[in-house]
Amino acid sequence: MKSSWIIATKESTEILRSQRGLMGLLIYSGLLSAFSLLLVSNTELSLLDNAQVVYMMAGTVLSAGALLASILGSDTYAGEKERGTLVPLLCTPIDSTALLTGKGLGMLIVWCIMFVTATPYLWAVGASGQNLGAALVYLALFGTPVVLGFGLLAMALSARTGSVLASSLSIITLLMLAATPLLIGPGLRGTAIGRAMDAVNPFAGALNTFDSVIIDSEPFSAQMARLLLVAVWLIFCLMVARRNAAHPNFQ
Amino acid sequence: MISIENLHLGIERKEILKGIDLHLEPGDIYGLLGPNGAGKSTTIFALLGLRARESGQISVLGHDPKSHAAQIRGAVGVMPEHAGFYEWMTAPAYLRWYGSLYRQAQTEKDLRILLGKVGLGDECRCTIGTYSRGMKQRLAVARALVTHPKLLILDEPTNGLDPKGRREMHDLLLEFAAEGNTGVLLCTHLLDDVDRMCDRIGIMDRGRTRIEGRLGELLTEQGAGQYYRLRVEGAPYTADLPMGLSLRDNQDGWWRVQLQPGNPNGPSFFWEELWRRGWHILEIRSESSSLEDLYLNITASNHPHLQEAA
Repeated sequence: MKSSWIIATKESTEILRSQRGLMGLLIYSGLLSAFSLLLVSNTELSLLDNAQVVYMMAGTVLSAGALLASILGSDTYAGEKERGTLVPLLCTPIDSTALLTGKGLGMLIVWCIMFVTATPYLWAVGASGQNLGAALVYLALFGTPVVLGFGLLAMALSARTGSVLASSLSIITLLMLAATPLLIGPGLRGTAIGRAMDAVNPFAGALNTFDSVIIDSEPFSAQMARLLLVAVWLIFCLMVARRNAAHPNFQ
Repeated sequence: MISIENLHLGIERKEILKGIDLHLEPGDIYGLLGPNGAGKSTTIFALLGLRARESGQISVLGHDPKSHAAQIRGAVGVMPEHAGFYEWMTAPAYLRWYGSLYRQAQTEKDLRILLGKVGLGDECRCTIGTYSRGMKQRLAVARALVTHPKLLILDEPTNGLDPKGRREMHDLLLEFAAEGNTGVLLCTHLLDDVDRMCDRIGIMDRGRTRIEGRLGELLTEQGAGQYYRLRVEGAPYTADLPMGLSLRDNQDGWWRVQLQPGNPNGPSFFWEELWRRGWHILEIRSESSSLEDLYLNITASNHPHLQEAA
């Protein structure tokens, strides 16, 4: 665990100290600010109610988190290989699981920073805190496994292909496919195909939970199936990542 | 320290290593030579358990990399060929972080001494991203040494270093090997590095070990030696030559001589002897080293362009 923590602190420090990381955080804050402004204007015109804007803001944070995890995950093994730092790391006595855990923890730290950054925005758009508690709890409970899952899957592809471009293109395509039921609108989501896709799609599962608890005020007990879905998603991604990280493409 | 017998290894159904033998004893500096694509780096990765063998035996510090990779990696300092760093760190911060992966705490003083040894003094306060190629090469050697390894594996350690830096690196490695129970495996294309430092060599070609043994013995077996061309005033007396030196030919006023391998006396001894025998030497030029001849003889059969060069 100590080795994993050493890797995790390096990973998160690298992201936060590098120009790339700071730029990412700036873009993320800019995105949240612009989106907040848009949502607040809509509530002032009574086009959206308070619960809807909080739901949309939580969805935006989840999407941004999944996208960033996909990009960062793609860089973990392949980026290190391309920069020549992977082999020195593999030559140390750390085993592949500890290395993967460290990189996963690094990603979790970055997600935590994104989460904390999003809190004041959620507070602001929700008319000084309405629905804030539900948004934060469910974003943590359902958003974290979805974000980590995409990050781990990106790591698996990164370790397998050894190419940042190949792994990031693959994972972003998958993320777009996962977001498709949401992009096609509520009409199509009501159809059998839309419902089937929602039932197996962890991304949709998390967003539907936000919808259910923030807008419809449904209890936690009604979210069990979706909680199971995101948990299975996380476990599946973890297994794939562990398998690929055991034999990374390093040469 | 290292024993490899008849190692076979494939990557993605392609056979890369087809019979590697390598034996390194404590105190040895072993030169692993071979053209590009011979399988030197893959052999190193097999030693560290990063590549699984198909057949053959490997033992590193008494352990099998298949089952004890972590123990082996914990006791071996490695400098890979393409050494990258986290460029936002400073050298001491990076070495401290790297050492912590081996569960070894490094004091400021230890790091300062080590960085000084590899020739990185005050510059090491800057971030690694500002370093030149030679400085990064020195830092890569420091990284291999920072955990006080029993065995050093270095892939092209003097690449990108100026002559002074190369000499310093040679001294550093000789000092490390002189500690006794340590060994150095050196992969290089620079035959001069091997000539200066290595007592044992192995020459690989196309995934096979072509020749392995003590450098001096191999040179003697090959009948090789050091060649020089001498320009001499007048016609020297050639019937009485010092022991260990033989005359090869005379072309365009230049006398080509060969110093036999395994001779304890250096070239200057022979020039002095020849002078005493009436050879008024005006100019001396060194020809290709004996190791170069040996290397080209071994590898050129598979590489006709090298035969031409030889």
